[in-house]
Amino acid sequence: MIEDDAETAEEILKALDDRGYALDHAADGTDGLKRARGGDWDALIIDRMLPGLDGLAVIEALRNENVMAPVLVLSALGAVNDRIRGLRAGGDDYLVKPFSVDELAARLEALLRRPAMPRETVLRVGPLELDLLARTARRGHRALDLLPREFQILEYMMRREGQVLTRAMMLEQVWNFSFVPQTNLVDVHIGRLRRKLDAPGEPPMIVSVRGAGFMLRAPA
Amino acid sequence: MRLLELLRSTTFRWALITAAAFAVGNLLLFGGFYLRTTVYLRNNIDTAVAEAAHLLASLPPDEMLKSIDRRLHDDPRHVRLAGLFGADGKRIFGNIETFPAALALDGSAHEANLLRIDSNGTESQMARAVGVRLGNRDVLIVGRDADELRQIRDTIDQGMILALLPALMLALAVGAWLSLRVQRRIEAMGRQASRIVSGELQARLPIRHSRDPLDRLASIVNRMLDEIEELIGQLAGVGDDIAHDIRTPLTRVRAMLERGRDGTLAADEMRALNDRAIVGLDQSLAVVTALLRIAEIDHGRRLAGIDIVRLAEIVTAVQEFYAPSAEDKGVTLKVSLAEVTPIPGDRDLLFEAVANLVDNAMKFTPAGGTVRISLVQRHDGPVVRVEDTGPGIDQAERDAVVRRFYRSDKSRGTAGVGLGLSLVAAIVKLHGFSLDISAGPGCVVEIVCRPGHPATLRHAVAMSLPRAGASPADVAAT
Repeated sequence: MIEDDAETAEEILKALDDRGYALDHAADGTDGLKRARGGDWDALIIDRMLPGLDGLAVIEALRNENVMAPVLVLSALGAVNDRIRGLRAGGDDYLVKPFSVDELAARLEALLRRPAMPRETVLRVGPLELDLLARTARRGHRALDLLPREFQILEYMMRREGQVLTRAMMLEQVWNFSFVPQTNLVDVHIGRLRRKLDAPGEPPMIVSVRGAGFMLRAPA
Repeated sequence: MRLLELLRSTTFRWALITAAAFAVGNLLLFGGFYLRTTVYLRNNIDTAVAEAAHLLASLPPDEMLKSIDRRLHDDPRHVRLAGLFGADGKRIFGNIETFPAALALDGSAHEANLLRIDSNGTESQMARAVGVRLGNRDVLIVGRDADELRQIRDTIDQGMILALLPALMLALAVGAWLSLRVQRRIEAMGRQASRIVSGELQARLPIRHSRDPLDRLASIVNRMLDEIEELIGQLAGVGDDIAHDIRTPLTRVRAMLERGRDGTLAADEMRALNDRAIVGLDQSLAVVTALLRIAEIDHGRRLAGIDIVRLAEIVTAVQEFYAPSAEDKGVTLKVSLAEVTPIPGDRDLLFEAVANLVDNAMKFTPAGGTVRISLVQRHDGPVVRVEDTGPGIDQAERDAVVRRFYRSDKSRGTAGVGLGLSLVAAIVKLHGFSLDISAGPGCVVEIVCRPGHPATLRHAVAMSLPRAGASPADVAAT
């Protein structure tokens, strides 16, 4: 992680340490670039505004040297153009400050466990089975009657089995929204999907993760 | 210093230009006059001289000499010239001392410098002269002094100077007077302007009601000042509202944190307190985020994805998005789509606008009510209409609701930061469309999409990258 604000850095370090990540920290762009080159990192968290060398310049330099580890860009700049610039420079995801640590962790996890390119036409998680060609879904022997959007949500979640998915991530990936509506509609859609997935007596497959979002997993 | 300013002033420059134009005009006028007069006079002289020469040449030799003698005698102003020269150029008779070799002997008048000889002595004269070769190879030369042509020119020159100088002086004086007057008015405006700059916002530029350009400019500036004063007034009010909307949750959070610090709470109580504190912070952040977003749209920086938009797709997507929560709430969400022309616009922003309208409508519609989204083609463009059966918006409140942070008293106690309609208004304005709010059974909001607004399309930039990444409002939503 390259982040110049000491307190922010410390909080992120602690929070990610709690979640089992080993994190190395540099406080300015020049040092950060040097260490990012040196190590074999699984992912990089890079702040945009850095003393010494700007965050985007760091990313561009790394990409030019074929360092291909996924990069999560942190920024206080929220304008769409800034975001586009961040992604164009080689960032893989863009998170605007202030953000919740849960959001950061969820996005980091998503970067680390990017789903393999969709080859399979049938997705399976526990008793759940999704046929992408026939557009059918079933849990065990029970066929599920899903609306097209519900089918999409389920596909997105099944490809990321066991990952925490935040509402913002779902709005971006499933609905393709670049804004977050005031009323929390993701919960309503998930609630609906849940009721179709879990017949009475069946263990729930979509769990809510406190303060963060949702996760799909096979019932124990 | 003042003189220098005067010389630099536009009015004075105009006066100088006018004076110069006047002078050129006079020069042309007098020049033309001079030219016409001299040509006329010279023609008269030429005709007279040529006639005299031909007449003399046609006489027998002794008659000719007598005639020449008479002609020269009968000349009180000493302007007549005549001479008879031998074939070798020697003078035979007359008052021309030497034979003008340069003169063409073709029987028509030319300018020649002749040496006159008479009782007063010799004198060189510029003359119009005709030379004729006689039958006996002698040469007869008849001329007339052309000096009066020069005299006429001198007279005209003098007249011109006499007329031109006073006119120029007058033009300069008037110019100086006018520019002084303008300068004084500008100084007065400058004084008022510095009062306004120093904070006296109610001050205005002086107006004379003369409807001259300066006056018109002053009244334009004054109208602008009225607008600015009103906006600043509004802003001050908005500032109070913002402070209130941000401070209220922050105050709660502060109180909670203080309570947590005492250490008297059990672990689960502490966790609940933390959650509530985070909700409070998120609320404050949501306000800031929404404000920044409106400012971003207001400044037109977000014209990233101008495209041809099919409104029906947007309306259908909004309906699909809100249908589950409408059903949960017991509100009927109806959609009616008419065939409308596609319009240029930013798909994401228009979606956000329509979604916000529906969001609002849903919020204010009680269970059992209806929210209807309709797409209508009107003569001035496609219209997206969102109607609800909620409490509606009073006539008096309709302008106020699109202002930032305005919340109808009816909406106190409803969740939200009170920025939804302001956001819609900003998006609509960016596209050059218009937003109408009227009363139905509940509230009716219409986005009238007049296509082809130049400001939007001129700045259209095609951005090919997908919009990934979190929006500023993410934290607020978590």
